[in-house]
Amino acid sequence: MSDSHGHHPKPKTPTEQRVEAIEALLVERGLITSDVVDAIVETYERDVGPMNGARVVARAWVDPEYRARLLDDGTTAVGELGFGGAEGEHLVVLENTEDVHNVVVCTLCSCYPWPVLGLPPQWYKSSAYRSRMVREPRAVLDEFGTSVSDDIELRVWDSSAEVRYMVLPLAPDDVSGRSEDELAGLVTRDHMIGVVR
Amino acid sequence: MSADQPPEDIPRRNGELVFDAPWESRAFGLAAAYLEASGRDWTTFRTQLMAAIADLPDTTPYYEAWVVALDRLLVADGLAVPSS
Repeated sequence: MSDSHGHHPKPKTPTEQRVEAIEALLVERGLITSDVVDAIVETYERDVGPMNGARVVARAWVDPEYRARLLDDGTTAVGELGFGGAEGEHLVVLENTEDVHNVVVCTLCSCYPWPVLGLPPQWYKSSAYRSRMVREPRAVLDEFGTSVSDDIELRVWDSSAEVRYMVLPLAPDDVSGRSEDELAGLVTRDHMIGVVR
Repeated sequence: MSADQPPEDIPRRNGELVFDAPWESRAFGLAAAYLEASGRDWTTFRTQLMAAIADLPDTTPYYEAWVVALDRLLVADGLAVPSS
């Protein structure tokens, strides 16, 4: 990341200045290099994201044995597909059924299963989502356009502890006629958070 | 869900632009690099982040709380960041 050399007339905010001061200090102390920071950012901007989780879901839909392993030990099962690392150490996969819908929140900050979903969207980190999803989950789901009827049990999971959750959405009826790639294309981040059923 | 939802149509392999500004991605990368360099996992930082979010007003942008948390972690580690 290059310096701006004064081409940008907009003054830096105190927070921006703080970030620069922190980077300068850590580099000066020899604790990090700016190249390492660049590489980390690039990974999370480009390579880690919900397309990983979508592959996991598609595999679980077509392969019952994989599905069983995934529900038994999420971290190990996603590792089989090459996904793992920070914030994926204790991954629990929650299975939606005809009678149960799962949805995930982090009430205290922004805990989220990075290896399969990437970094969380803005709304997931908002105080509104964090507090309301626990208090009035059906109303919040309504705002996402997701209607969960009263005869479906709604389970809200708070990922503020060590565990990270991912929802395994209901498979479409015609799984057998579709390729795994095609199925992965049906799965969105919001399905795997549970705000869409 | 609300107006603070980021635009969903900016092409990204992971389906969404995860940072709104360069300093946000920098703050993220700095925390990750520092934890890695000091041989710790995200639990260390998460504790500071939860505390910072709880301490700051609800309207505080997420990555501003993140920077406060990183600052506090460094201070706790004996690395006082000079104020600019």
